[in-house]
Amino acid sequence: MIKKIYLIGNPNVGKSVVFSRLTGVQVISSNYPGSTVEIAKGYLRLDNEKVEVVDLPGTYSLDPTSKAEEVAVSLLKEFPKEEIAVINIVDSTNLERNLLLTLQLIGEGFPVVVCMNMCDDAGHRGVHINIAKLEELLRAPVISTCALTGVGIKLLTERIKEAASVPGDKLTHQERWLEIGKIIEEVQHLEHRHHTFREIMEDASVRPVTGLIMAGVIIYAAFKFVRFIGEGIINHITDPVFINIYQPILEKLSSYWQEKGFWFHLLIGDLINGKIDFKQSLGVLTTAPYIEFGMVLPYAVSFYFILSLLEDIGYLPRLAVLLDNLLHRLGLHGYAVIPVLLGFGCNVPGILSTRVLESKRERFIASTIISIGVPCIPLQAMIFGLLGKFGGFYVGGVYLVLFSLVIILGVILNRSLSGYSPEFLLEIPPYRFPPLLMLWKKLYFRIKGFLVEAMPVVLLGVCFINILLYFKLFDFVTSIFAPIVQGLFGLPKEAVVALAIGFLRKDVAVGMLMPLGLSANQLFIGATLLAISFPCVASFVVLAKELGLKGVIKSTLIMIGISIIVGTLLHFAILR
Amino acid sequence: MKKISLVQIKSNELVKILEILGGSNLESKLLSMGVFKGKPVTKLSHIGLRGPVVIKAGRSILALGHSVAEKIIIERA
Repeated sequence: MIKKIYLIGNPNVGKSVVFSRLTGVQVISSNYPGSTVEIAKGYLRLDNEKVEVVDLPGTYSLDPTSKAEEVAVSLLKEFPKEEIAVINIVDSTNLERNLLLTLQLIGEGFPVVVCMNMCDDAGHRGVHINIAKLEELLRAPVISTCALTGVGIKLLTERIKEAASVPGDKLTHQERWLEIGKIIEEVQHLEHRHHTFREIMEDASVRPVTGLIMAGVIIYAAFKFVRFIGEGIINHITDPVFINIYQPILEKLSSYWQEKGFWFHLLIGDLINGKIDFKQSLGVLTTAPYIEFGMVLPYAVSFYFILSLLEDIGYLPRLAVLLDNLLHRLGLHGYAVIPVLLGFGCNVPGILSTRVLESKRERFIASTIISIGVPCIPLQAMIFGLLGKFGGFYVGGVYLVLFSLVIILGVILNRSLSGYSPEFLLEIPPYRFPPLLMLWKKLYFRIKGFLVEAMPVVLLGVCFINILLYFKLFDFVTSIFAPIVQGLFGLPKEAVVALAIGFLRKDVAVGMLMPLGLSANQLFIGATLLAISFPCVASFVVLAKELGLKGVIKSTLIMIGISIIVGTLLHFAILR
Repeated sequence: MKKISLVQIKSNELVKILEILGGSNLESKLLSMGVFKGKPVTKLSHIGLRGPVVIKAGRSILALGHSVAEKIIIERA
């Protein structure tokens, strides 16, 4: 009687895709090791019984060498072996490396079903495996699958119950590798092929000169594409909808309003020259939806589209190799590019994925750097929207300031914190081209997550701000901080409200700067300060969870200190 | 005989691993990824200025930090 099914396998063999196929639960999968940092659970119907399925983080062997692997192994031993089934997911294109874990699982007496995933890719690469022979040698059911398209999944579910414990053995790793050599000899046949274009590109991307050129081109193109797609959506879809359809409805509504009192102020906001201005009115029905759907969402879509594409192709680990050098000086190693890139979407998943880094020290440095120097997409979208009209110089300037900050801060943290950075050891996946449908699914999943998380905060936030503004409750706070904001940063005292709102949401905060009539330089300072000052409340909570109370206090003090220094420096450098 | 590590050879050289220095933790980690004594590997590239070394072992491609690569002693085939 199977009570629990575990999915286990090496990193980046497609466990999460198989998991989604089996349970229907959508999880984020990417083409790099370690995309599963949280353990996902779902249910599978087996002989009319609901059985829990657990997706474990990737592990190379049963003797864990990292935190994620430790978790995987300890979970596996939670239940007696008779009550579980283990689906060992294997990358068919690289059977040899995957077999160590398979043999260990079988050797330790776990009831195993081997799922030879990515069988289509293996075929393309000229790898042929004799499944029947392998089944005989391993003494466990072996099923060939391609989880991306769903091939073999049905057969896999049918054969799960065949998983049975076989008499084990206790070999050393060295002995196992000899055994693996023999098995491979018998079951695997490699077609001899010339280097394909894909393989040439795979090699070129990790060589110093060609790699850097490719990285430069890819990053530049990615950035251009994000802006191109984002602006395209704004100009051709969202702006026409807001201005041609939504605005006339609101105008009509507001003309029925005889007395423009509290509710008018709350819902519509201020009229600019007698008209609703989505960027400046600041009402729950006007500016709030416009910020979210008209300014941020288009960029969120374009950013996540490009990020998901790069993730699934498998480019990111190559970028990690190229940047390892630089990141080493910041006390991190190459793999930290993954949390940083995710942070550009939203700091929350960025900080969460710092779990792929091994030491506490690295996680502290990476999380602090992300919350200070990595602007999330809502903030970036607002910066494009606000500063873009003054020219690329200002937009570029914000990124330049943030980038310099990351470098300086990283170097200082690396020198001043005790401990050392662990070594860099990473498997580089082959390039893969996932079906577009998978890409759309992932994009949909991420955008939905973004909206569900952002919308309530934005609506309630704007509501809350409007109430405070209406009853002039901000005046007190403003008067306290006005000397700092006016004297040190050169911003009008109303900007205090915007900076304070930054704690709630960055996009709304930049939105608050819009009606203030700031000069380009002032906007530049305001936007930069919003980027570095305080993380929004969502990332703050995650930060506290990941770093602990002491860590988060330390990180916060660094942020406040840096904001004051940078704000003052920028003010005296460009405004005077 | 002088020991040669992975960082000292040129790219595209096929070599055999002779020894892994630096403790059992690193050794077992590499072992589980398929890099162990006697395994033939090809060095694919080396990013300059103490950057990582990329090798091919079997069908896997692995990136090793500079300090890891220094600890892998090889012999030329």
